Amino acid sequence: MLQYRVKPLFSLVGLLLAAFVIFFALSLCRDGVPLWDGATLKTATFVRDLFGGDTSAPADTTATTTVDVGKAEQEQPEAAAAAPAVRQPMDTAPKTILFIGDSMLDGLQPRMAAYANHNGHKLYGVRWYSSTTEVWGSSTRLKQFIGKYKPDYVIICLGANELFVRDIKAKRQRYVDEMLRQIGTLPYIWIGPPNWREDTGINDMLAASCRKGSFYLSKNDKFERGKDGAHPTRASAAAWCDRVCRWIVNDSYYPIRLDTPDKKFGTSNGTEVLQPNQK
Amino acid sequence: MEFLNNILTMLTPTPGEPLMMSSGLFWVLMLVFLPALAVLQSQRRRMTLFVTAFSLLCAIKGSGVLALLMLLTAAMDWVTAQAIATCNDDRRRRVMLWASIACSVGLLVYFKYANFALATWHDIVGGNFEPLDIILPVGISFYTFRTVSYVVDVYHGKMRPVDSLLDYAFYLTFFPCMVAGPIVRAADFMPQLYNYKAASPRAVWDGLWQFMLGVVKKCVFADYIAQYVNIVYGSPSGYSGFELLVAVLGFSVQIYMDFAGYSDMAIGMGRVMGFDLGENFNLPYRSLNVTEFWRRWHISLSQWLRDYIYIPLGGNRKGKVRQHLNLLTTMLVGGIWHGANWNFVVWGAGHGIALCVHKVLMPRLKAIDNTRAVTIASGVVTFVVVSLLWVFFATPDVGTAWGIISGMVTRFDAAYIPVLVSRRPLLCVLLLLAAVSHYMPTRWLQRAREWFVAAPWWARLLVFIVMVQVVLQVASNDVQPFLYAGF
Repeated sequence: MLQYRVKPLFSLVGLLLAAFVIFFALSLCRDGVPLWDGATLKTATFVRDLFGGDTSAPADTTATTTVDVGKAEQEQPEAAAAAPAVRQPMDTAPKTILFIGDSMLDGLQPRMAAYANHNGHKLYGVRWYSSTTEVWGSSTRLKQFIGKYKPDYVIICLGANELFVRDIKAKRQRYVDEMLRQIGTLPYIWIGPPNWREDTGINDMLAASCRKGSFYLSKNDKFERGKDGAHPTRASAAAWCDRVCRWIVNDSYYPIRLDTPDKKFGTSNGTEVLQPNQK
Repeated sequence: MEFLNNILTMLTPTPGEPLMMSSGLFWVLMLVFLPALAVLQSQRRRMTLFVTAFSLLCAIKGSGVLALLMLLTAAMDWVTAQAIATCNDDRRRRVMLWASIACSVGLLVYFKYANFALATWHDIVGGNFEPLDIILPVGISFYTFRTVSYVVDVYHGKMRPVDSLLDYAFYLTFFPCMVAGPIVRAADFMPQLYNYKAASPRAVWDGLWQFMLGVVKKCVFADYIAQYVNIVYGSPSGYSGFELLVAVLGFSVQIYMDFAGYSDMAIGMGRVMGFDLGENFNLPYRSLNVTEFWRRWHISLSQWLRDYIYIPLGGNRKGKVRQHLNLLTTMLVGGIWHGANWNFVVWGAGHGIALCVHKVLMPRLKAIDNTRAVTIASGVVTFVVVSLLWVFFATPDVGTAWGIISGMVTRFDAAYIPVLVSRRPLLCVLLLLAAVSHYMPTRWLQRAREWFVAAPWWARLLVFIVMVQVVLQVASNDVQPFLYAGF
């Protein structure tokens, strides 16, 4: 009688176990099992998480590059948790600032340029429309721009296109890590995306990844939406930039001189624009 | 060793993040839970103790120490029900009943509505409101409904009080129903526990089939479509009327697949464990009127609202006007129960009004010949009403909801149709499949189920693997935002 009762459940357990073993075996191929015409059989990340987690960097970002990025290229970024929490003293020297990100720069960069002009900094902007951490982190663009402009301060505004990505940590963490690796030891600020609705974890992931005092959480700020419904209005973006600059001066890990400018908008020393599908 | 460490890390209580039955962690836990259940289920007490302990583990995972509230509620209501059953004084019985309801509902109100009430109050008096840091215990809405129905049923003599506190704790904490129902009544559940029989081989495979259907609904359809809906509803003014229309339709599909998917998983899991939790969704978008919709949608919730709110208010026994008022009140409660937000109030009121309108028009509607065209028109009208009301359900404020509804009309542009089809083929395929699966003859699905139950073991394994792989393939696809369509 007992045997009759337990048999079906054990049979089910056998099925679950057999399937688990198969998915475990498949998960050893981290980048999926290639099929035909570029199609890939995706593998289960949770199985990898169970057996030690996924700490690998994206394959295509380990390629060597001839771009000279100086000291930054040689060193790994400090892990957020291990980073010193002590705030650096105000660096009053004029800086070369590289400001990269998605289309949010349309609103932020003109105001940031006013700050740069007023405080003697140089500002170079790179707007990659529709870009994401995946787009940046799976290319060596950031490294190339660092090599080209030789900044001593980097500002990133990225994440607005990833507000609703599911399992974001599993999918995007490695790209964020790669971006921070490319920045190296340069002081940086990551401006979080302006949320219209609660995100699926991009802000938490960025906050945990960035060095303490290097991530500005924008989601609690109030914004006035532009007509496209996606971006803040020019005035709202300028106010956003003002808040970020005050935060850099008063609360960030590496404060630089950013006195409030007299002019509303300024001129950047250079701006590059990359289109959504540009490689 | 690392494997165990990782499991323990994943099981670390993270309030607000319940253990989902569609997760990989749940799958791994089942590899331990099911063999233990198989061994213990020949002795009911041991099985009860073991499953209750496992359910509490799930509750603690999702609510931390707040899970103990569930035990407290269980103990309190168990004692109260015993006292009500043995007391002969009507007045005292009534006082005990209302005290029990007040405690259960009071806890729910505090956790779910305190911030909403305070925010509304500060809005009225113009104060500066900082939300209280309140974490909602996982499943509190569902176990409050279960515990209230139990005490009320005992009060009305519809069931005997449960003799053992452990049995009652088993019922209240039963993990398949914990997160999202169904709201199984004690009167239906306890006899199954008292006369517990392990699931037959047929029931086990039938349960697995139902569980897999739920996973596909939730992880393939609902989660994928949700991405598009979130993006569009996140900034509706940036989208054309056609894209808004697809998002509105998408949300109707998403919310059904999400709720029904989780219910299927719970019912399937219950069946594997030897319990019949009933059906909770019966192809609701086939309804020809709103009244029928509520007989097919979240059936256990609809019946609960009917039996414990609508009928006690007087139901249809006190005249037409009172009946309509009762309907409206019941639906308002149903709306507020879903969440602390004015939009849920509007959603509930909208359904209440729709039900009243249907009741008023019923004599005239019955006079119309039931032709195929009338049937189709009725189905379409019902679907449109329900879908428009879902807009209020899905948006944070009435202004946004109204913006979406008006935008569908004022900004409609057919030029976006080919763009959407070419840019979002998977979304279109899933919406189409959802429609086909909903409206196809039910016997087709029944035949597939019968085949699976009778299939050889290796065939079932193959189906299971295909199902998991489909979930993996779709889950790894992100809907790319259309934010910068100008480029």
